[in-house]
Amino acid sequence: MNKFVPVILIFLLAIFVSIMVGPAQLTSEIIQLRLSRVILGIFAGGILAFCGGVLQGLFGNPLVEPYTLGSASGAALGGSIGILLFGTISPLFAFFGSLGIGFFVFTVARIEGGLLRDRLILAGVVMSFLCSSLVMIIMVMGGRELYEILYLLMGYLGIIINAENRLFIILMIVLSVVLMLFLYRYHRELDIISQGLETAAGLGIDIQKFSVIIFLITSLLIGLTVSLVGAIGFVGLVIPHISKLLFGPKHLYNLPASFILGATFLLLADTVSRIITVYELPVGVVTSLIGVPFFIYLYRK
Amino acid sequence: MRVFMETIKVKNIHFSYDTKDIIKDVSFSLKQGEFLGIIGPNGAGKSTILRILCGILKPKTGEIIIFDKDINDINKKILAQKIAFVPQETHFALNFPVEDIVLMGRFPYLRAFQRERKKDFQATEHALMYANVSQFRERPINSLSSGERQRVVLARALAQEPEILLLDEPTSHLDLHHQYAIMELLKKLNAEGMSIIIINHDLNLASLYCQRLVLMHEGCIFSKGTPQSLINEKILNTVYKTEVKIIKHPYKDVPQIFFHPKGE
Repeated sequence: MNKFVPVILIFLLAIFVSIMVGPAQLTSEIIQLRLSRVILGIFAGGILAFCGGVLQGLFGNPLVEPYTLGSASGAALGGSIGILLFGTISPLFAFFGSLGIGFFVFTVARIEGGLLRDRLILAGVVMSFLCSSLVMIIMVMGGRELYEILYLLMGYLGIIINAENRLFIILMIVLSVVLMLFLYRYHRELDIISQGLETAAGLGIDIQKFSVIIFLITSLLIGLTVSLVGAIGFVGLVIPHISKLLFGPKHLYNLPASFILGATFLLLADTVSRIITVYELPVGVVTSLIGVPFFIYLYRK
Repeated sequence: MRVFMETIKVKNIHFSYDTKDIIKDVSFSLKQGEFLGIIGPNGAGKSTILRILCGILKPKTGEIIIFDKDINDINKKILAQKIAFVPQETHFALNFPVEDIVLMGRFPYLRAFQRERKKDFQATEHALMYANVSQFRERPINSLSSGERQRVVLARALAQEPEILLLDEPTSHLDLHHQYAIMELLKKLNAEGMSIIIINHDLNLASLYCQRLVLMHEGCIFSKGTPQSLINEKILNTVYKTEVKIIKHPYKDVPQIFFHPKGE
């Protein structure tokens, strides 16, 4: 796959640009700050796009994205509660929020008999609405904390890596790499299940077990991501489409490509968010601003 | 190799969604090399039976024996090496090339991260030729007509190199040409030893191609037997509540059905 070469080159360029470009003078401190942003950007953009690709395959539905299953809203809810209690973003709260909602969605979807996969989407969407309204209540109650919650909802790569949270962040990154490799093992199953459950079952895939595994692992990954950088939108929806456009429908190729493209896109969006105004925009705003027109263009094509 | 008289044996299976019984005490068997048709009105439970046979649904009670083994004791991938399933209609969310779709039929033979081997490509090639879709091999699946797509799905099932083929109304929505092509292909496969179960709404096709029929009605088996013994005006009137006229096929000694328009 020689298409990977230019994609990786652009990726490296994006890393370079996001370290060099910005309003501040390039001191070693600034470089270190930007390096931590780059690490978070690669981590978040890559995971969101990768999980988006996995879920679009699992559900055979191009409009599914990581947030459809509710774990992102759960993370936002958990994070908001953490902010309300401690006045600052606490990744641990967000993480447990996403896990809690993930399991809740799973339990709601799991009725006797019938096919679990299709009910997961519905349960996820419904739980997302519930979480959103709870977050709104917290925002109304919050007052001064409103600002922090807004950043959590819109996504923000500015979390500063320091001695206190370094181990936690490294742990999360290692864990998510392991989880992604685990998901990647199932690239053939995803090719097949995108053509429907009957096809998948007929080819020897245990569809109930497979749906549960994919759902739980992606929920975990999304929870990890949102708890660190907030709910960055559109990367998980749009990037897998671009990846399939460039690398074809085979998950063997388009999943790793999604990771690289997602990371690249988020790094560039973050750079834009830092230089476009005097204030730093939440990166989630920029991804949607770029993502929506692009998506409309793709969808009409 | 052992010779099995009965490849699939279904014993007293029940299936229900919540409290609604879909399948009630159904028993039948498929003999080696047999071409069996399941017919019956809409909602009689035909598709549910096929879904149970390939392990998508689990019966509440009853037993399914495949090659002398209980279906629950067979690994799903091993089962897929023996039984291939052709769904009624496949929605292709991703626009794979035809060749890749047929190659997916080799999934039951591959481990995670294992590359396809030479014999996988050979089986795929053979299946493409057999189903007469090798001229489309590089075309994206969604650029084909529904009849051509159905043949691709059949090719994928053949790439599984199964001993039993299950088909859920493979000819519905297809034009005359594709109906004929698919039924003739199945006949050829059957002549070479493939055991086949087919659900068919077209009773004339079922009567013409199947050796034995199972007629389902409201979740039960109403009757079993050869087309000659089973397709008659009295039975069809009872099960389908429709007046029909039955005439012998011009080339073959099987019954064919004709409607009787009112007042003519």
